[in-house]
Amino acid sequence: MIFAIALAAAVLFGCGAYLLLKRDLVRVVAGIMLISQSATVTIMGSSLSRGSAAIDVQPGEAVSDPLPQALALTALVIGLATVALLLALVHRVVLVFRTAERDELAAGEAEHEADLAAERLADQEETG
Amino acid sequence: MTLSAALILPWATGVLLVALDGRRRAVGLLAVVMLLATLVLLAVLMAGVLADGSRDVVTGRWPEGVGIVLRADTLGVAFALLSVLVLLAATAHEVIAGVRDRTFPGLVLLLAGGLTGLFLTGDMFNFYVFFELAMTASYALSTYGGGRRQLRAALIFTAVNLLGSFIFLLSVAGTYRTTGTLAMQDVADRMVTVDPNAALLVATGFFIAFSVKLGLFPFHFWLPTVYAGSAPAVAAILSGAVANIGAYGLLRFGAGIFPVELRLAAVTLIVLGAASLLYGAVLAVARGDVGETLAYSAIGQVGYVLVAIGVGGPVGLAAAVLYSVVNSLNKTLLFLATGVRGALVAGAFAIGALSVAGVPPAPGFVGKLEMFRAGIAADSPALVVLLVVGSALSVVYMFQVYQHRFWRPDPDAAVAPSPLPLRALTVTLALLILATGLWPEPLLALSNSAVDTLLAGRPG
Repeated sequence: MIFAIALAAAVLFGCGAYLLLKRDLVRVVAGIMLISQSATVTIMGSSLSRGSAAIDVQPGEAVSDPLPQALALTALVIGLATVALLLALVHRVVLVFRTAERDELAAGEAEHEADLAAERLADQEETG
Repeated sequence: MTLSAALILPWATGVLLVALDGRRRAVGLLAVVMLLATLVLLAVLMAGVLADGSRDVVTGRWPEGVGIVLRADTLGVAFALLSVLVLLAATAHEVIAGVRDRTFPGLVLLLAGGLTGLFLTGDMFNFYVFFELAMTASYALSTYGGGRRQLRAALIFTAVNLLGSFIFLLSVAGTYRTTGTLAMQDVADRMVTVDPNAALLVATGFFIAFSVKLGLFPFHFWLPTVYAGSAPAVAAILSGAVANIGAYGLLRFGAGIFPVELRLAAVTLIVLGAASLLYGAVLAVARGDVGETLAYSAIGQVGYVLVAIGVGGPVGLAAAVLYSVVNSLNKTLLFLATGVRGALVAGAFAIGALSVAGVPPAPGFVGKLEMFRAGIAADSPALVVLLVVGSALSVVYMFQVYQHRFWRPDPDAAVAPSPLPLRALTVTLALLILATGLWPEPLLALSNSAVDTLLAGRPG
């Protein structure tokens, strides 16, 4: 059981890392979502005991560890909020740049680099 | 009581202010007043902690060992005070200059709430929750200004730091699995009995998560774009307040919870710190843009903190605390000064520049002095040479920027000087920094006391 959970978490993390390296921003967000799910699965896998739900327990009955479940719930909610924020940000980027490709976003940075290089050249001429 | 109030005040007012239009001056001023009130509460808390020792509060009136523990000790309160001071300076700066975004004041207060919470919690998962509260506010803040560069910077900042947060969460799960508890004190006590391989893996996860926040080499790749691309006030907030999470986390988790693993990895940490220091300094010399030079300088300066943590022991850790405090104040002043024009600003910038370079009487000198002491305590001439080289390079790049910005005819000389209150604020901040350099005794005593509480909790 632990092995299955570990495998699931590993596969989720691996897929997420693969998607993170993609050029399309939506896929990058999907990658981060998968990694957040991998963290949640790991939290569930970190339970210390297995058994029935920790409510109205009969004496002698095995109880599942309630703490990781509470943690997983909290982590899910936080993950939902942050991923929603990230998606909103991507939406804004698409509206402003009219693209969801990372390379085209970097084009703006290349312009800035060119400005800097020109400035340095002007400095050298001034001092030399 | 003061502890809970210091947590609730910024959070509750932040929620309220996000709903209001922050571009109105009254809302901005309210945010400044609330940050000031939080600062006063934290100062009262600090006085109490220094007088009668650490303070624990179990939330929700749960019995001890069940409820989440909030813990105020010197280290946590010092970082909380520092971060709120930085937020106060940046917000006051932005309110005087005119807030351009309706959510700015509210978000800063939420960030203050998150930061205060994470510095004052004694529970790992609670740390994660406050950490995400602070980070979510800073993700939204990094879009401030709304230009194309800000947006691109915000996207990179959010994506990279979310990844760091989830790695932190994975390590929290690992901690629970191996120790069966999440209260920091109990984790520290039980960590000694954990299988060393598992403990090292968990510790590495925490290290990566905090290094990403701090922008250490080789986790720095996101930092220059973000710091240089953000508005000056936001860059000051990110480098002066949000980056404190990384320094505090390395101290609290590294020295407080994983001391064995820290000793094991000491050489690696020193090498990484040295790489960060040289890489940041060399690239800062090579870049022409003020924002980018400061960003690379930030990478270099956190290298010092990591080297000090790697050296460890009371001397090294005290140097790390002191250096993070000084560095955060320097960066706040420098980033804020880049957004201001007119008389007196050059003087304020020069104080910040001298402080980064470590020239007396600026507080950077005291920080560097402690670093040298740490280098000598580690009995390593190579480390001392490295620190000297790093300082020399920081003189070069800081004065390159100074010369570039203040010593030549400004191409946009037609730009009107900034309003007097804005310049007065920058100069006040510079004078405050100068004062800590002239009278460093309280800061030294504070960092020593912080390290004492950190080491006192350590098992064995």
